[in-house]
Amino acid sequence: MVAEMSISDPKIIAFCCNYTASVDADALKAAGLVSENFELVRLPCTGRLEVVQILDALDNGAEAVFVTGCLVDECHNLTGSRRASKRVQYVKGILEELDIDPGRVEMFFAGRGETEPVVEAAREMKGRVTGMEPIHK
Amino acid sequence: MIIAERKPMQEILGMTAGMKKVLVLGCRGCVAVCSAGGDKEVSILSSALRLGRKMSGEKIEVLEETYVRQCDPEYLEPLRESGKDYDAVISMACGVGVNFIADCCRGVRVLPGVNTTFYGANLSSGEWKEMCAGCGSCVLHLTGGLCPVARCAKSLSNGPCGGSVGGKCEINPDVPCVWQGIYDKLTYLRQEQNLREITPIRDWRPAGHGGPRRRIREDLLS
Repeated sequence: MVAEMSISDPKIIAFCCNYTASVDADALKAAGLVSENFELVRLPCTGRLEVVQILDALDNGAEAVFVTGCLVDECHNLTGSRRASKRVQYVKGILEELDIDPGRVEMFFAGRGETEPVVEAAREMKGRVTGMEPIHK
Repeated sequence: MIIAERKPMQEILGMTAGMKKVLVLGCRGCVAVCSAGGDKEVSILSSALRLGRKMSGEKIEVLEETYVRQCDPEYLEPLRESGKDYDAVISMACGVGVNFIADCCRGVRVLPGVNTTFYGANLSSGEWKEMCAGCGSCVLHLTGGLCPVARCAKSLSNGPCGGSVGGKCEINPDVPCVWQGIYDKLTYLRQEQNLREITPIRDWRPAGHGGPRRRIREDLLS
């Protein structure tokens, strides 16, 4: 039953900081590295990300949301990615309260200018939600 | 300040079941400072509420607003009429705000969005601790400024119980025994003589055991 309701190309939204996302989503799509339903939101620092932005992303069409920030001990702004990670954890708690799989949101860490971890994260998140009952039916 | 925390989402979803239009109403007083019911938390609860309803296949219109305070009548004035447009107003103020809306805004259905927990201090970002019980009969001048009513698990008035071991309370090894703290503080201040005074049995009426409390200052009444 769940499989029938699942969608093949779920919308995935990524919040990335300037330092971890050196390419834009269009370039990744053109290279066939991510699906058409992938959206990348660039932030000056993931520490700027608010809990409500992740929730709103899920409410407004995303089936999964992930955040990619600097490696924990190499954050350009020292604690930005650590703060983002805590906020992602907070959102996971809210999702659990709502009986929504907390795996729909995730925090990833990547070195400066590395595109591959972002692409890998997008694939992993797509894999996670493919087969889940969609939020947006 | 008054410390509060958001109610569990399932409880909020339950109390709003079947509703089509609600207002999540924050307060910029204590609950904003303790990150429970200010602008940011209003946005989070509203978004979570929409998401929760979406998962159950039901639509809900959630509007957001935050007042300067919900414990003064002038700020609630607009809600008297506008509040009737909603199936319910989810107040994220402390229980005072919820009660005051219920009292002042006839015809408005108000629901609590937070659990009001205690009067506390902000130890560090994200950490609050109870420091006062609002008992109405302060003894802090006798106890080195440390409150045995709020900070002793038994609210003892005359020294620690037998459960005080190594400066810790028997309820939890992470909880310091406030009476140990009082002893240490008074010793440091050379006011140990305070400990020789036997405090009589407390009159709990000022703490609210004599009914709802009220304070009137004639010089301020209009």
